[in-house]
Amino acid sequence: MSPAAVEVMELTVRFGDFTAVDRLSFAVERGEIFGFLGANGAGKTTAIRTLCGLLRPTHGSARVAGLGYEDGGRALKGRVGYMSQRFTLYDDLTVDENMSFAAGLRKLSPEVLARRTEELFEFIGLTAPRNTLVRHLAGGIKQELALAAAILHDPEILFLDEPTSGVSPVARIRFWKLIRNLTEKGKTVIVTTHYMDEAEQCGRIALMRSGRLIALDSPAELKERTFPEPLLELDAQGRDPDDFLNTLRRNPGVIDVQPYGSRHHVTVRSSSEEAVLSSVPAGMSLRRIPPSLEDVFLRLVEGKDR
Amino acid sequence: MNRTLNAFIKKELAQTLRDPRMRVILFVLPMVQMTLFGFAISTEIKRLKLAVFHDPGDRAARQLTERFYSADWFLRVEPEGDDPLRLVRSGRADAALVIPAEGLTRSLARREATVQLILDASNATKARVAESYVSKILATARRGPEPPGPFQLDVRVLYNPTMESSVFLVPGVMSMILCLVTIILTSMSMSKEKERGTFEMIISAPLENWEILLGKTVPFVLIGMLDTVLILLAGTLLFDVPVRGELWKLLLAAFVFVVTTVTIGILISTISKNQQQSMLGSFLFVFPATLMSGIMFPVENMPKTIIVVAYLNPLKYFVTLLRNILLKGGDPWVLWSNIGVLLLMAVATTALSFRRFHQTLN
Amino acid sequence: MISFKFSRARSIALKEIRHILRDPFTVALALGLPFILVIFFGYAIDFDMKDIRLTCVDFDQSRASRQLTEIFSESGYFKIGFPERPDLFLQELDQEKTAGVLIVKPDFGKTLSSPGQTAKVQLLLDGADNSKTSAILSYLPGIQRAAAARLTGLKRQEPVKLRTRFLFNPELNSRWFVVPGLATVLIGLISILLTALTVAREWENGSMELLLSTPVRPLEIIVGKILPYVALGLGGVLFVYLAARIGFRVPFHGSHALFIAACLMFIMAGLSQGLLISVVTRQQQLAMQLSMISGLLPSLLLSGFIFPIESMPVFFHYFTAILPPRWFMVIARGIFLKGAGIGELIGPLAALLVMDIVLMTAATKRFKKDLEP
Repeated sequence: MSPAAVEVMELTVRFGDFTAVDRLSFAVERGEIFGFLGANGAGKTTAIRTLCGLLRPTHGSARVAGLGYEDGGRALKGRVGYMSQRFTLYDDLTVDENMSFAAGLRKLSPEVLARRTEELFEFIGLTAPRNTLVRHLAGGIKQELALAAAILHDPEILFLDEPTSGVSPVARIRFWKLIRNLTEKGKTVIVTTHYMDEAEQCGRIALMRSGRLIALDSPAELKERTFPEPLLELDAQGRDPDDFLNTLRRNPGVIDVQPYGSRHHVTVRSSSEEAVLSSVPAGMSLRRIPPSLEDVFLRLVEGKDR
Repeated sequence: MNRTLNAFIKKELAQTLRDPRMRVILFVLPMVQMTLFGFAISTEIKRLKLAVFHDPGDRAARQLTERFYSADWFLRVEPEGDDPLRLVRSGRADAALVIPAEGLTRSLARREATVQLILDASNATKARVAESYVSKILATARRGPEPPGPFQLDVRVLYNPTMESSVFLVPGVMSMILCLVTIILTSMSMSKEKERGTFEMIISAPLENWEILLGKTVPFVLIGMLDTVLILLAGTLLFDVPVRGELWKLLLAAFVFVVTTVTIGILISTISKNQQQSMLGSFLFVFPATLMSGIMFPVENMPKTIIVVAYLNPLKYFVTLLRNILLKGGDPWVLWSNIGVLLLMAVATTALSFRRFHQTLN
Repeated sequence: MISFKFSRARSIALKEIRHILRDPFTVALALGLPFILVIFFGYAIDFDMKDIRLTCVDFDQSRASRQLTEIFSESGYFKIGFPERPDLFLQELDQEKTAGVLIVKPDFGKTLSSPGQTAKVQLLLDGADNSKTSAILSYLPGIQRAAAARLTGLKRQEPVKLRTRFLFNPELNSRWFVVPGLATVLIGLISILLTALTVAREWENGSMELLLSTPVRPLEIIVGKILPYVALGLGGVLFVYLAARIGFRVPFHGSHALFIAACLMFIMAGLSQGLLISVVTRQQQLAMQLSMISGLLPSLLLSGFIFPIESMPVFFHYFTAILPPRWFMVIARGIFLKGAGIGELIGPLAALLVMDIVLMTAATKRFKKDLEP
């Protein structure tokens, strides 16, 4: 058995003239939570759909659980679970009807279906009656149900495309607990997200921009490598920071100034840190902070767009 | 049975039949329509508005006039003033008959009677029929019975001797309704999945193409057959349409027809990306198909250049089958040749669907 | 309605116009489809039968029997065939190979030449196909007259001669009444589909709820949605009009202004019906089923397009009054062929107006119900 869950070599997917995924290469280990991070249209969804066999690569190769697309991807599809960013359950069917249809698609026997739904409903903590129409369920519960349908056949590799979009913060936390539980059982999870707090929970993150992979590492490593220099946060505390920001931008010791909500994040050379910190006008605060993934993202993805 | 197929059947039936509005559309409206059209439409043209202009003292003309109104063909319109043209032009009468000024009594005596008929020909068929009614009545206007001529055609109408309209229309309307219901239902079901994203769940499972296509076909064939039985019941019980052939022939023909229309629906849905396109596709099929079912105008009369379109219409074959089975007992040659053509169509559309269907989103 | 603001309706209309222009589908549906279908069927539909297949079983094989079959085929209406197995002639009818069987008995020629006797020829017709058989029945008197004259040399004098004058369509060109009728059916149907589908789609993807959450009033939405499609529908009418006038040389005797006004009312009725359907169903599949069921078959079968209303039972004289195409059929044929003016058409016009108001009000009311908590 191949040691890697997913192995991608020079994967390219084109739609007409548009290159959605451009020469992507990486490998995902078994039991890993592997995250795709990137802006909308960066190619995350296309990459995931290709790996699940829903799209065919234009060039390059991908092996998922050691399998390719030779048989129309059917062997591959049998080994993976996929949860689309669109809600793919039928909202005009009941919970049970949806599960039994999902089981039928995988040719599971009624006994397996009964056992797995028991397990999974306990796992996701579903309390709604099973003859409820799915359209009457809350957003978070719907997503958990979609997850349950995607792992009904107990796949070894699970692809989740923005599983928590449009879900309440509480439900998101619950959902990630479920994902961690799955990897503890030895499953591999590949997930796309644009929530930074979710990305922090991945073992490794692949940062994508315009179809290309621009960074791939653990969250801590990514921060370290992207921000070798100190990162300062300016809080103008209601005052107008424009004059000071202009001074900073002219300062050769300052590498970058990025707006960050109502605040600004300033990257400086280590040698100039002291001088910059002491130049802050009265009434504003400037202090050193550890870089967050969002800083990394802004620097690597959006920074290059300027 | 294949578990996937089983799951598709359960799922489609649950989705389609749960909505009470859909149940009404699928099972109640077709019967209502069957009844409405069966009672309403008559191939015989009746109750044309006719005014007869003649001198009140003309006895022969008065007798003739009474003959016109004794059948159901003409409704009496009182001649107003003395301008028959204006009466017809204004639409108050469809026809005006003008008796010569000297009076019919006198001109008949001279054996030189000529009457003028003014017809509203804005509906050409109606006008032609009106003329034939008038000339039929005039032919009997001779004084005293004449011996039959040396040559006579002895005409007998078989199978439907009274030329009952419903016997002719019910099979046609039946097939129109069936075609309409099954095509729309099927063609929109797959594009609905594409539009809503549920298609992704289906193609993310390790399925063969035929499993998906069959899974989308079988449930709608079942629904179509249920509809067939209901419409057949309404058609034969409410109207005196005889069922001279065996029931199995009827059900077999209906089954093959439903399979054909469902596969056409599937083909439409594999070609279209969303429900709107499916709708356009269904409309482009259903409208010509119903118009060319043979109950509105004689299909064999179409110009040679486009008659091939009429032969591609599954309705044509099903209407032939229905009429033959209901009225003539189902001749084996007619039964198998028409069923054969329908099957051929189903196979061809299925083959096309297979070529068009991909389990990818590319 | 006091709170109706035209500015809000206009902004909805403008948004709708931008949608339509970006959507080649809708434009094709409204402009192209009626045009193509009117041309196709205007060309295809022909009520005059030609070459109807008749099987002749000739047991006589005399000069007279051959003359008889010639008379049938020379009329142009019939094409005479002879069966391979004369004893199985009924099978020809059962197998749909022929529309009728002509049986000439062995003594036909002899009877014909013996004075005082009547030579009868039996004609069996297929009652399973009413339309063909009625056509044949209407051709037979002419055939009988011609045959009697030619076979016996005697000319029978009709007691009363008929001189017929066909008004409005002297040559009885069936296209002149088929094309305006077809245009009515198609324009009505497409008006329903235009709004039924587009608005149901907005319900499905949620953009209608967004619109309902704004302070826009239901009537403003309805008016804003309908107006752009009215323009589109009129565009479709223009194409159909050109097809009728240029393609089929259908005369136009009436007033163009009146015709446009009537079209406007008719299109509005269809659009309102479509809107009502989509407000009620909120689902494209249901909307499509309902539009086709309420639009297609009634407008083909109950509008007077082919089957005249007056031939229907009395109940349907009233029942068909709820169908907009029934009224527009009268208007279109009246204006095109008869040059009918507002005086003659006031009834149908009023009926259309009433239907516009009823359907629009119904759609608005349904919308209102959705707005209430």
